[in-house]
Amino acid sequence: MRWSDAVTLALRGALRRPVRTALTTLGVTLGSGLLVALAVVTTAADTKVLDRLGQGNPLTTVRVAPAQPRPGQLDSDALQPGAPHDLTDAALASIRRAPHVTRVVPIQTSRVAELSDEGGLSQDWIIGTDMTQVSTLPITLLAGRWPAANSLTEVAATTDYLFKLHIDGDKPRQALGHQVTLTSPRIAAGDTGPGQGRSYRAVIVGVVGQDLTDGDFIVPVPQVVQSRQWEQGGAGSTQFPVNGSPYAGAVVVASSLSDVHTVRAELYGMGYATSAPEHLVASVQEYLGVVNVVLGSIGSVALGVALLSIANALLAAIHERRRDIGVLKAIGGRDRDVLRWFLVEALAIGLAGGAAGAVAGVVIAELVGVAVNQYLVAHDLGSLDLVGVPVVIPLLGWLGTGLLAVIAGGLPSLQAAHLPAREAVVEA
Amino acid sequence: MSVNRARPWGGQPVVRLRGVCHRYGTVTVLDGLDLDLPAHGYLALMGASGAGKSTALALIGGLERAQRGEVVVGGQDLDRLAGDALAAYRRRTIGFVFQHFGLLETLTAQENVELAMALDGVGREERRSRARELLDAVRLGARSSHRPSALSGGERQRVAIARALANRPRLILADEPTGNLDAAAAGHVLDMLDELRSEHGCSLLVVTHNPVVARRADESCELVDGKLRVP
Repeated sequence: MRWSDAVTLALRGALRRPVRTALTTLGVTLGSGLLVALAVVTTAADTKVLDRLGQGNPLTTVRVAPAQPRPGQLDSDALQPGAPHDLTDAALASIRRAPHVTRVVPIQTSRVAELSDEGGLSQDWIIGTDMTQVSTLPITLLAGRWPAANSLTEVAATTDYLFKLHIDGDKPRQALGHQVTLTSPRIAAGDTGPGQGRSYRAVIVGVVGQDLTDGDFIVPVPQVVQSRQWEQGGAGSTQFPVNGSPYAGAVVVASSLSDVHTVRAELYGMGYATSAPEHLVASVQEYLGVVNVVLGSIGSVALGVALLSIANALLAAIHERRRDIGVLKAIGGRDRDVLRWFLVEALAIGLAGGAAGAVAGVVIAELVGVAVNQYLVAHDLGSLDLVGVPVVIPLLGWLGTGLLAVIAGGLPSLQAAHLPAREAVVEA
Repeated sequence: MSVNRARPWGGQPVVRLRGVCHRYGTVTVLDGLDLDLPAHGYLALMGASGAGKSTALALIGGLERAQRGEVVVGGQDLDRLAGDALAAYRRRTIGFVFQHFGLLETLTAQENVELAMALDGVGREERRSRARELLDAVRLGARSSHRPSALSGGERQRVAIARALANRPRLILADEPTGNLDAAAAGHVLDMLDELRSEHGCSLLVVTHNPVVARRADESCELVDGKLRVP
């Protein structure tokens, strides 16, 4: 018997008792729906929670400081800097070559003085980085846009700078278009005066929140390079020391979460202090894992009960169709034809229930997401948008339910396949 | 053990039973049964309820295995067949007609006839066309899309006859084919069975307790206490 014939027999058989089939399918729908909903919610929640821990950056990010690490560095997520240790191009090249490192984004800083329109002078830091790789860095664009990668006249102001402009932090757009005059100092050896300055004007094109290092402006690399070259032309002073390390830090991205500790250990071995939320993430993952196991168990029990109902419905159908099975064998059906017939029937119920369950699960998860978000917002806990379902979960839920239904229907189907052909002539 | 023989037939028998014994628990149903049915022959096997006629039919049809003795059908020793080979024997050598019709209620008349061919791997178009021919032959062409529940008893049995002939078997085994039919329908079904048997050139073994049915056969014999008695 071909599969297509088995499908016809199975579907007709299932529809012979529509109420029983509908109830069995409903049971499967509820079971798989619950499991899919829990999987969607926990996966989305895990992702969002971990995203929050990473503050919008990859959790595989390790920040490197131009300093020696203290002995307990690897036991702590926080930076434990000791004596200065220059972060040079050679050091960055070594880090790039280290195992499990996918990317290294260096950060340069330079001291500047800013002359306000009112004539006041304030000391600031500009932070230079590769504008094409800002997504790797702990920087969030709050308003406007990023400065062009090689621009010498565009900067992004940090939220610290908004304070200097007397702009409310909730209204970052007000800073856009503001012009600033930045001056790099150069102090000649023995010069006790204010020294020389190299000034340039720049426009604020964006406002960012950042957690890289202290500074008022995020600028493209060429600006900070020029500023540092000018500054290092002098000897510096107590008030304006020349920054020794070529780089103020670097952001290193490990290839996976499990590699973060290895990368940190490697950097520790190179003599650099680092920070990464690895212990925090591990703890949170442990708690999330426990929650996932508990919720997964609940969903699995529900799905298990639903699958038992498939087995039960098949047993009832087989009992009812003993003579049909006997007749099928009497007219030449093989054991595997009967097996195929009932396995396809189990699969059909599983796939129908699984499909309905996948849809129901996604809908339930969306509703839960909306409710949770409303609760969080209402209690001033910030929003945690759980909506956004990875399509693989309902798909796996659907196919998995079909597979489990076949497994659940396996024993009854085998029982049917082994019924003797003699059943065809047994008195009803 | 007693040995009973059917009347001597001319030619090579399509069914040959020798010393067949069968029992259910302590009840002996067949006790050294000998039986021959020639090619193209029509034999009625009679007997009261419990005489062992259905068991004999089940043994010949390969639905059960004889506990002792020899069952040879179409030159095949059924004791040597098992699994797929036995299923193939049932599919290609035998055509069953049951008292209860044995039609699958969820399939139409056409699909029931096709099912026998589907089990033999016949292609969809070929089996569709042959099923139509067979239903026309039993004068049910116009009702091919009806399910068994929409057919009368006589019509159902005619569908069963069409199905029995689907794979061109050498032997048709009919177990009380008119047991559930009124006299008119029974006569019609028996006419048809006989007509199609001749047309298709197969042998027919009918199990019945009805002497009227038995009289239509070329030969008849009776099972009494597991032994064959030839009138």
